Formats: sequence, C-alpha cells, structure tokens
Amino acid sequence: MNPRHILALAHNTYRETVRDRIFYLVAVFGFVMLASTAVLSPLTVGAQAKIMTDVGLAAMVVFGLLVVVFVGSSMVRKEMEKGTIVTILAKPVGRREYLFGKFLGLNMTLTAMLAVMAILFAVMLLFAPGEFSPRFLSAVYLAFLELTLINAVAVFFSTCVSSVLAAVFTLGAFVVGHLSQALREFGRLQSGPLQERLADAVYYLVPNLEVFNVRGAVVHGDPVTAGHLMWATVYGVGWSLILLILAGGVFARKELR
Amino acid sequence: MHNPVNIRTAPDQHAAVSVVPGHTQPADPPVAEAMSVVDLTKGFRSGLLRRRLRGIEGISFTVKRGEIFALLGHNGAGKTTTINCLLNLCRPDAGRVTLLGKDHADPSARRDVGYLPERPYFFEHLTGWELLRFYGDLLDRPRAGLDTEIATVLARVGMAEASNRRLRKLSKGMLQRLGIAQALLGDPKLLIMDEPMSGLDPMGRRDVRELLRALRAEGCTILLSSHIVPDIEMLADTVAIINQGRVARTCSRDEITARSSYIVHTESPAGGTDQWPGWLQEACPEQAGRALRIAAPDTAELRDILENCHGSSMSVRSVETQRTGLEDLFMAVQEHGGTT
Repeated sequence: MNPRHILALAHNTYRETVRDRIFYLVAVFGFVMLASTAVLSPLTVGAQAKIMTDVGLAAMVVFGLLVVVFVGSSMVRKEMEKGTIVTILAKPVGRREYLFGKFLGLNMTLTAMLAVMAILFAVMLLFAPGEFSPRFLSAVYLAFLELTLINAVAVFFSTCVSSVLAAVFTLGAFVVGHLSQALREFGRLQSGPLQERLADAVYYLVPNLEVFNVRGAVVHGDPVTAGHLMWATVYGVGWSLILLILAGGVFARKELR
Repeated sequence: MHNPVNIRTAPDQHAAVSVVPGHTQPADPPVAEAMSVVDLTKGFRSGLLRRRLRGIEGISFTVKRGEIFALLGHNGAGKTTTINCLLNLCRPDAGRVTLLGKDHADPSARRDVGYLPERPYFFEHLTGWELLRFYGDLLDRPRAGLDTEIATVLARVGMAEASNRRLRKLSKGMLQRLGIAQALLGDPKLLIMDEPMSGLDPMGRRDVRELLRALRAEGCTILLSSHIVPDIEMLADTVAIINQGRVARTCSRDEITARSSYIVHTESPAGGTDQWPGWLQEACPEQAGRALRIAAPDTAELRDILENCHGSSMSVRSVETQRTGLEDLFMAVQEHGGTT
C-alpha cells in the first residue's frame, strides 16, 4: 500500500464530491434545524434543547447516510462505467490502494460535513433555552463511526453489484443494522430454535448499528462512558476493515473492459 | 504538436532519464525486448448460461525496444482486449506477458508505461493541470519537479493554454490531447496507445503522427492499435494483423513496402521519345503533354527510377502510392480468415 497513491485518490474523491456541490446538503441541514426549532419551540416547553439535540443528531446521521448512499454506492461502479478507472489502474496503482483511496476520500467528505453540521448544531444549542451538554460531541463521534462503517458497506456493495442495487443494499444494511439487536431479542422470545438461529445469524452477519446510537443517553443526560466509546471504535473500525478487505478481494478479480 | 519540447534528456533508453532538472532515476537493467506476449488467451462469459465468448486466443508477439509496433484489426478483432490484458485490466485465462522485463501483474511493471485508452474519459471536475498533478502523484513523480514536467507535456501536446479549463468544457480532440499528455507523464519507456488518432481532426492526426515519430527517435517504444491502415502504414515498424482474436500475420515495414506499387510523376526530357534515355524508353511511361507517369511495381524499382531521373536531370513532381501492401495484406487476411 503506497500512502501517496491512497492520499492522491482520496483527495481526488473529496474534491469531486465538493465540486459536485455535495455541501448543499449541509445548507439543507441548517435549514431543517432552524425550521424544526421554529416549529417545535412552542410545543416543547422546557425541553427545546432536548428536542433539538435529538432532531439534530438524527439529521446528521440521515444526511450523512444520504451522501454515502448516493455517492458511495456508485463511486466505484461509475468510474468503471465511464472508464476513468482504466487510466488510474494502468499506472502503478494496486487495486486495493484504489479502493481504500476512494473510501478514505468519501470519509474525508463525511468528516467535513459532520464538522460543519456539528458546529452549526452547537451554535444553535448555545442559543436555545436549556442546558447545553458537551456530551453531544460523543454522539457526533459515534455518528462519524457509524457513517464510516456504512461507507465501507457501500464500497463493498459497489464492487459487487450495480449502483442501484448497491444503494438499495446499503440502505437495507442501515435499516437491518439498527434493528438487528431487536430482531435477536425477538428471536429469543420465539419458541422454535430455527427462528432464534435465524435472528442470531442476522445479528452476526450485519453490523449492529445501535452500538453507535447514544442519542437517548445524550438527550436525557445519561453518561456515555469511555469504555463504550472505546468498544464502539473497535467495533466500527473492525467491521470497516473486514468489509474493505472483502471488497478488495472481490475488486482484485474484477474485469475492467 | 505545437511548441514541441523534447521530454527526454538522454536518447539512450537504458540510460538514466528524467524531465526534472537535477533529478535522475537509476537506470533499469537492460532487457532484450520492451514487451513480450506469449500465448495470451482471454474469453468472456455472457448470459444466464454463462456461455463463453471468444476474446483472444493464443496471441503471441514481441515488441523490440525503440520500435513502433502496431496491432491492426477490424472493430471487434481483439485489439482492445489484448491491450487490456497487457495492462492487467483484464485477467488473461492463459499466457504470459512481460512489460520492460517485469510480469504485467506487478503494479511496478507499469511505472514506466504510458497508456492512452481508446476513448479517454477523465474526471470532469478537474482542470487539465489538476488531472496531471493527480496522475503525477500516482506515478510517484518527485513533487519538486512535477509542475515543470506537467508544463512540458502540456506544451508538447499543444494544451498549455487550455490547462486551467475544467475538463467538462474541453472538446473531444482536446481531451484526446490531454489523454496523450497523461500517457507521456512520467517519462515512459513504453507507450501503449489504443486508437490514438480517434476523435482528432486531420491537423491533429498529423500532429500525433509527428509526435509518435519524435518519441520513437528519442528511444521510446510504442505499441499502438488501430483499424485505420494508412495511419499504421505511415508509422509502424512492425505490424501484427489481428483477426478473430488471433495474430493472423506479423510483418515488418520492409515487407509491407516491398508489396506496394508506385507511380512516379515527372516531366519528359527535351526532344522526341527517340531521344529519351534508354531506361526511360524501356519503362514505357504514359505521356500527357510534358507530364509522364512511370510505374514502379516495388520499392527496388522505385529507387532505380528515382536515381535514373536524378541522373537524367528530370524533375520528379511526386510519387504516388498506387497499391498499399498493408491494405492488400489486411484485406487478404479478412477474406481468408486466417494466415496468408
């Protein structure tokens, strides 16, 4: 793995998303936040900050997810279809370097987006009535980890299937990932061992994205422990690496013509 | 192209070469040939039943250092599949390929290889300059001299003035030139060009031909593919005619030109035909006023006629290629569907 190749590919991907005006999504985020404040304020006497925190953190994940689904799912496939990939891989660039560079580039975009949204969010919370909790930084960090993992899912699917299917599967992985824990518990309540095993299989095959969801704790003032942050980091990075290695294996055998 | 600038500083292909002042790369150990392809085979699976479609079968050829080697074949003959296999963009089913002495599957084998795809398509959000900087990073070119190198290749392909325009605003011909520029970046010892004249106007085609000749003179080895016979005839030292995924015939420039015939256009000497030199009377030229058309069935005869004209103080107006050896050969291969 040549770091210069990976950084060049990442920078190019980041620049592409920025020049494709992906940051308009951030502006939409700001508008959604302001609009929700205006609408919800009269309805939430004394809990405006809590509602804003909940809506704001959820909006960050949703907008990040939109970027991953629309950009990440087609990232590799688009280059294969247009043919931009052949001039890159005809250079002394390994296929895994290429894939990792693309992944890193989209993560740079997500990082920039989350940073802008988090700053906007913090400023709004500071002006809102109620208590501003610095715990929201933990929630933003976990949202970043979740989006990183979803990005790896999108990159994996984009090497295997068409852009549309990759987007659908990525979205599916997001939904199932948030439900897998509940599914597992539901499976244990069933009488048959088959349902239990099936629920277990889903739980272990799909990353459990609830690990990254601490919105409830942040909103209600519960602590987010360092141990949980550590575990979530290991879990997110581990899953991302596994998916990227699998994607690299698939992509190494891909025919480009 | 316009404002041609020599990229190489050392014409010897085995010597240290660089476009960056003060920077030299250690010379690679010399290898006998620039490219060696042995029994390259590639098929494709298609449809629900995964039926095997023929791509290329048992293609073998060797490209000598410093020559222009052409793959000639009609559309769908297997030229692009061959090139994709050479660059490891496609995985061959069988066969062995070495690029500058290294196995083609090793990414480092492509460090000294420039590639122009058939339909170059680049990132539209970038400018020409940014695109070449990006490729410069992928080629591990030293950052200190990269801007100088980019300016040099852009000038060489006549794109210096358009280098700061976004690619989505460039014409097809300009994109083709930029494609050539990215292939030249990194001072390649081996250039692989798939239909390099595609999308170019007559001036552009001439510029590319001149550029390729200049690169050959500087020691660069070039493999080009085309289905346009005159382009290849004007450039190639060796031609491999590909038909139905196989090399049907490989021939050298001498073999091609030996199969061509010519008409020499000249003026008749003063006096009647009985006063003409003996060689001219034997040649039985067609006469229209003072203009003479003398037929030469091959290059040896052409050489003799030209020497005789010179010896008889007859001015030669032009030499017309009456029948191109390569075209005949190519057509014969297509008709017979195999070797000739």
